[in-house]
Amino acid sequence: MILAEKLTSMAYWSHFVSIALFALGLLGFLTRRNALIVLMSLELMLNAVNLLLVQIAMRTGTSEGIVLVVFVITVAAAEVAVGLGIILNLYRMKKTVDLGSFRNLSG
Amino acid sequence: MLVSLKAFAPELTLVGFLSLLFLLDGFVPKLRENRFPLIWVIVSCFAAGVATAVGKGLSGDFFSGLVTETGLVAFFRYFFFFACGVTAYVTLGSKEIEERGRSEFSLLILCMTFGMSLMVLANHFLMLYIGIETVSIISFVLAGFNRESSRSNEASFKYLVYGAVSSGLMIYGISLVYGYTGALSYPAIAEALIKNNGTHPFVFYLALVMIYAGFAYKISSFPFHFWTPDVYEGSPTPVATFFSVGPKAAGFGALLHFVLTALSQKQEGGVFTPIAGIQLAPVMALISAATMVVGNLSAIAQTNVKRMLAFSSIAHVGYVLMGFVVMTPAAFSSIIFYLIAYCAMNLGAFWIVGIVTDEKKGSELSDFKGMGWRTPVMGVCMAIFLFSLTGIPLFSGFIGKFLIFGNLIQSQSYLWLALLGVLNSVVSLYYYTKILRAMWLEKPESSDSAELRLPLSQLVGLLGLALPTVILGLFFSPVLEMAQRWITQ
Repeated sequence: MILAEKLTSMAYWSHFVSIALFALGLLGFLTRRNALIVLMSLELMLNAVNLLLVQIAMRTGTSEGIVLVVFVITVAAAEVAVGLGIILNLYRMKKTVDLGSFRNLSG
Repeated sequence: MLVSLKAFAPELTLVGFLSLLFLLDGFVPKLRENRFPLIWVIVSCFAAGVATAVGKGLSGDFFSGLVTETGLVAFFRYFFFFACGVTAYVTLGSKEIEERGRSEFSLLILCMTFGMSLMVLANHFLMLYIGIETVSIISFVLAGFNRESSRSNEASFKYLVYGAVSSGLMIYGISLVYGYTGALSYPAIAEALIKNNGTHPFVFYLALVMIYAGFAYKISSFPFHFWTPDVYEGSPTPVATFFSVGPKAAGFGALLHFVLTALSQKQEGGVFTPIAGIQLAPVMALISAATMVVGNLSAIAQTNVKRMLAFSSIAHVGYVLMGFVVMTPAAFSSIIFYLIAYCAMNLGAFWIVGIVTDEKKGSELSDFKGMGWRTPVMGVCMAIFLFSLTGIPLFSGFIGKFLIFGNLIQSQSYLWLALLGVLNSVVSLYYYTKILRAMWLEKPESSDSAELRLPLSQLVGLLGLALPTVILGLFFSPVLEMAQRWITQ
């Protein structure tokens, strides 16, 4: 593909958007100390996956990717539901959601 | 469709029993108060095992290629149902799972067993993802089962965060493979890879590494093992017992099937060779070496027995991964044998830690002082389990290690890995004997040196795990032959 064609194609750019979103999520996970923001970063990573899957499904003309997206969304919702429950429980005990305060286990 | 349902019978049985328990739990609140839910788990695991035995012989792809039945799948099903049943049996005598939480606990471990079955059945990335997430999400809840304990909650949160990241990496890797090959089912991926004749773009290798992240987290192999000690230490001991055997074996089963069907070609004589352009052996050798060394060296410094056993379970994952370096049927059957031996000895060791934790309210090494003299049966059983975990002759662990190292030596490559494995076993002897020394050579504190009588059910259960550990060390050939049959089917 010549450069001009690449730069005007949606598929080309959505790859970058997906990579950027995933990297942002990973970065957020590694650097943030707030449990809620960590959960949000994880969501961001999964949404990057969804974007990539939809784009590839469009390009290859297969429906498998779209089906996988539905499941990824469902799993993400379940994960956040459990995660929020745990965070709520930790907040009740410690009155904070800062990861630095969760230091009972030496790890 | 009907054939597919027949092939799915063990899982359907499990789900049937699970739903019945769910209904009974809601409508007959009296049942929550006693042992009923846990006995129900044992019964349903037994029923699912019978369903597996009845439906044996079906093989091929079902549900339009989403799941596949092989001899290996049948083995792993028996394995999971056994591990789940034993966990329920262990929990019957445990004080760590409070009585009113028993029915939730039972529901969760049954559901987790279902998820583990899905993992090994998967012949398609969609199924694999669903299986892994079913197991993971339930594990998070189980790890935080003691809601009042901040350690349990912390363990749960750590498990969740690591789990979510590794599964995020895995699904990103999956979508990259999907972009490259245009398929999500294993055989179709293999087909597309063969067509490309050994020239793969860099992104494909990156994707494989990302997919391995998901597996590594489930089996707690080297780059993703950090959660293991924290989670095992923080979660209730019966839960840690289950975690150390069930999901690990499921991860191995899923990895085995993925490597064999998506990344390899079957050659004459049942030998698998990786598809051109994929070098599995060196990578697997490095991961295996790193996992063993990290697990064993970290275990030396531990004073908490639960934590020590967590690191030791990481080391055992390293030994099993050696089998992936040599991709021959003999190597795979030695993996199966090792998993069987590991299941009995590790369940037993964790069970005894649970009994001591109930008695002393802690699992530090000092809590084990004189325990051998207070309950000789338990002390002897622990000695059997720990010697077997070390790999001392006469016990099943020795045969398992012997087979795995032997295959590696026979293949004439990676001799350094076999040597490293032997050295690691020597190192592991040091920290396992620390537990035994505390149990047998140190006197109990005078305040509680009275004999500790175990209930009959626990004695029977412990002996039921210790006997196979000894017998498998002496008469291993029938089981090995069975493993070979499972592999070739």
